[in-house]
Formats: sequence, C-alpha cells, structure tokens
Amino acid sequence: MRVKMRVNLGGLGMKNPVTTASGTFASGREYSDFVKLSALGALTTKGVSLHAWEGNATPRIAETPSGMLNSIGLQNPGVKKFLENDIPWLRKQNVPIIVNVSGHTLNEYLILLKILEEEKSIDAYELNISCPNVDAGGMTFGSDVKSVEEIVTRARALATKPLIVKLTPNVGDIAEIARAAESSGADALSLINTVLGMAIDARTKKPLLARVVGGLSGPAVKPIALRMVYETYQAVSIPLLGMGGIMNGEDAVEFMLAGATAVAVGTANFVNPRATIEVIEGIQNYCEIYGVKDVNELIGGLQC
Amino acid sequence: METRFDEQGIVRANKPVGAGLYLMELEAEKTAHSIAPGQFVHLRLPRMEAHILRRPFSIYSATPENATIEILYQCVGFGTAHLSELLVGEVLDVMGPLGNTWHTPDSAERALLVGGGVGAAPLFMLAEELLGKGIAFDVVLGAQRKDALVCRTRFEALFMGGSVHAFSLAHANSTLFCATDDGSFGHGGFCTELSKDLLSKQAYDYMAVCGPEPMMRIAVQQALECDTPCEVSLEKRMACGVGACLSCVVDTSEGKKRSCVDGPVFDARKVVFA
Repeated sequence: MRVKMRVNLGGLGMKNPVTTASGTFASGREYSDFVKLSALGALTTKGVSLHAWEGNATPRIAETPSGMLNSIGLQNPGVKKFLENDIPWLRKQNVPIIVNVSGHTLNEYLILLKILEEEKSIDAYELNISCPNVDAGGMTFGSDVKSVEEIVTRARALATKPLIVKLTPNVGDIAEIARAAESSGADALSLINTVLGMAIDARTKKPLLARVVGGLSGPAVKPIALRMVYETYQAVSIPLLGMGGIMNGEDAVEFMLAGATAVAVGTANFVNPRATIEVIEGIQNYCEIYGVKDVNELIGGLQC
Repeated sequence: METRFDEQGIVRANKPVGAGLYLMELEAEKTAHSIAPGQFVHLRLPRMEAHILRRPFSIYSATPENATIEILYQCVGFGTAHLSELLVGEVLDVMGPLGNTWHTPDSAERALLVGGGVGAAPLFMLAEELLGKGIAFDVVLGAQRKDALVCRTRFEALFMGGSVHAFSLAHANSTLFCATDDGSFGHGGFCTELSKDLLSKQAYDYMAVCGPEPMMRIAVQQALECDTPCEVSLEKRMACGVGACLSCVVDTSEGKKRSCVDGPVFDARKVVFA
C-alpha cells in the first residue's frame, strides 16, 4: 500500500511530516554523511540571530534520566555568516528550509526578519520565543500573552513566508499563549521547546551545568509534550509542529494523534544520526500496518 | 573530510588491565580501516536504558588486517562501568571516524609525546605513525602507580621491535620515560617533571600531549616557554559528536571551537585553559 505522506504546515508543503528540531541538526551539513537531506519533510536550522552570539560557559550539557539538559545559549555566528556559509549549501539539498529566528530584543527579531526576507530560498520561519537558555529575549517573550501578541503581530507584518511560532512549555496555560499567537497571525505553532530543569552532583555539591539551569529534552519530556500538543490542538485551529522526545515512528504517530500535523526530531539525532529517516520509515510502517492511506488521517485522531 | 558512518561493532575482548582501566577489542571493520591517529569513535552501548547519550572514546590501536580496534578506558561513571560489563560477542554502534588528527609536520626531526594516565592511549597510534615516517621521538608516560602504567609495555615493544630496532640505531637515544606519583616505577613524581627536563636538554620540533587537564596545562606551558610547536588532545562533555549540538566547545584565542570536529587535537598556543 502506498501511504500518502504529504502534509501542509500552515502553507509550508512537506513531502512527509518530519523535520529536525532547531539546534540539534545545525544546518544539516554535519549530518549529511548519515542522512540524505532531501528525504526529510523539511529542515529546521539552528537558531539564527542578528549578531553573533557566543553562547554559555561549559559544561553545557548533562545526561539525566531518559534525557539530557542543555544550556548552549543559542551560540551562532550571526545572520550574515549564516547567509554566506549555510544557505548556499542548504539551497542545493532540495529540502524545504525553516529558519529558526532568535533575538534578544523585539527590534533584533524584526531587523533579522527583514534581512531573511531578502533570501528567496528560505521556505518558512520558526519564531523562537521560547529558548530557556538566554537572559534576554527567548522564553521571556513567549511566556506572556501581551508580549506574544506584540512580537507575533510585528513579525507577521514583515514575513511573507509561513510563520511558525515556537512555544515554551514553561508556562501555566499553554492554550492561552497559543491562542494569542494564532490571533496575532501565526500560520502554525511548534511545541514544545525544552523544559526548564537542573541537575546537581551531590558529591561536589555543584550543578552539572555551568549556567546551573538548562532545558530538558529527550524521552523524559515526551508525556509533557504530548499533553501540551493535545491541549493546544483543542485551543487553536492552525496546524501544530509537535516535538519532545520523539525517538521513533511510533512516538511521532502519538504526536499526530494528539493533534500535530508535522513532527520534529531533536535529541534522538544525538543518539542515532539516522533518527530522522527512521522516524519517517516508522510512520510509513505504522500506516501500512493499520491501514492508514493518508498520514493526515492521523492528525487529532486520538480516541478518548 | 572522509565519509563518517555508524557501523555495528562486535566485542572481541573486554578485560580489566589494572587500576580501574579496561582494554576492549572491537571488531569494527570500517573503523579499523579508516581511523587515523588522534580521531575518536562515538559509542552507543546496548542495554543503557535511561542513559540515552553516546560516549566518545579515543582509539588505542587499529589493526585493519583483523578488522579490529582497541579502546583503553577508565571506569569513571555509569557509562564506562556499563561498558566494562559488556561480554564478548555483544554488539554496539560505532560512529566514526570522528574528529581531526595529530598534525606532526613531515619536516619534524624529533618529537616529544607526553601522556598522563589513560591519556597515553591516543598517543600510541601517533607513535606508530611517527615510526613509519622515520621521525625520531621520545615518549613520557605518567600514572599514579606502576600498575596504572598500562601503555608502557606497548611503547616498549614499539621501541624494541624488529623494524623499530633499526630505527633506534638510526636515531640514537629515542627513549621511553616513565613517572609514577608514588615512585613505584621510573621517576617518582609527575611526568611533567620529566618533560621539563627533556625540553631543557633536547631540541624538539613537535610535542603532543594528552592527559588530565592540570597536567596538560603544565606541559603546554613548558612547550610555549621553549617555543616548541605543541598539540593537545582535549576531552569535553559531548552529545552529537559531529559538530551540530555545540556542547563540547573549547575556549580558544579564535573563539569557541567544537572539540568533536575542530578537535579533539588543538594547537596548544590557541587553547585558553580555564
């Protein structure tokens, strides 16, 4: 049986529902020995900012039960280098490009978007208002209805391509934030970014991360992510890009049943460099076994 | 850069060799044929359950004829303790060849290799390579006690083997020096005391250092003082192993560099030690 795998994520056509989670796949080149990038539904880049960011001190990661903490801090060389070094290469890979857009201030986001608008080969933006690892910007924008409305409205006015807004799980009411993003013009929502956490070495009485706190990812967060995708699906009508601990095709199907139109594979790339491809194959296998002719039938198909 | 891959490795041997150190022999054909001195592999171990990340290991030796590699490792945490319990015949995922290599200039006339503890392992393939290129070198090994000097016999064999013999004659005074903290073998004290002494007596035009960070810092300082080109192999907490996640960055005079792809071997002059 030939399964229809094509999905539409708020105007972004994807030949299958799988992309990469920002920050886990760089701009793809690092994984190109392991993965044929054109096989992916889309590629989401590492967060790009207007200026170069140095990121946080090391240690920046710690393994925790069924997951990991990171506090990279959006280290990136800035948009100029990104457009010079990454985009020309990525453009040749024949895969839709979602650029993750980061900033410290509202103005930085907007100037960055203006610059990115000049680059025709970018297919969509993921507005990162949810990074827990930077002091200014990031999560602070995504935790409050008013600031979500302001930044999404302003970004919407500039962006001519699909605008995906990435939400943080570190809020009391995800539905309220999701509705604010939708009413301000978001074409799709992606969730979840990492869950704020920490780890301590009892012997040394020191934190395992130099920044003390960081973002938790991996299978440990999957139940939280599923619950938030489910709640958001009830609250909005724009499509969702679900992520959080997806390791295989069945995990991905669970996210789609909870309401996701597409999914992103993140931490799994570190465990298995071919994880994205195996997730695509896994979704296909599931559909074949359960007689699902079109992957879109899975979206929100949870039976409660 | 050569193509990287993820292949299945089969445990052929996995034995304690003293002082909390273990020697694992893995059948991993592609890795055995492609790994270069200084590079590393990223292992995904079976039955790790809640511990999801891979573990990076330097390569002690590679024998392409037998399709095998060897890894010398120290039990320091859950991952290495689990690794030490793997049985002959068990299968694990081997990602490689990762990272850069040592960059001994072909014009080098005499090199100094300084290895502290398990840090001696990634220097052995370099020693073999120098031997093949006909570059003379001295080796300094340091450990806490005699039984932790596990690389000593291999280096001795390298210096005394058939082809090595001719080499030794051609390059008089190529020597292996050992130091133990407790004086149970060789010089009683740190290996950096030996390297300091050697650097004051001999002219070296290349130095390679691997070991605990405080030891590397001292050895690098010595190299800088006598203007000897020096490289260090650094180990940082790592997730992806291919340059994507930016976990394993090292502070350098040229900004933050990834130890998994820009390293693990770095020009000592550029490393900013904490």
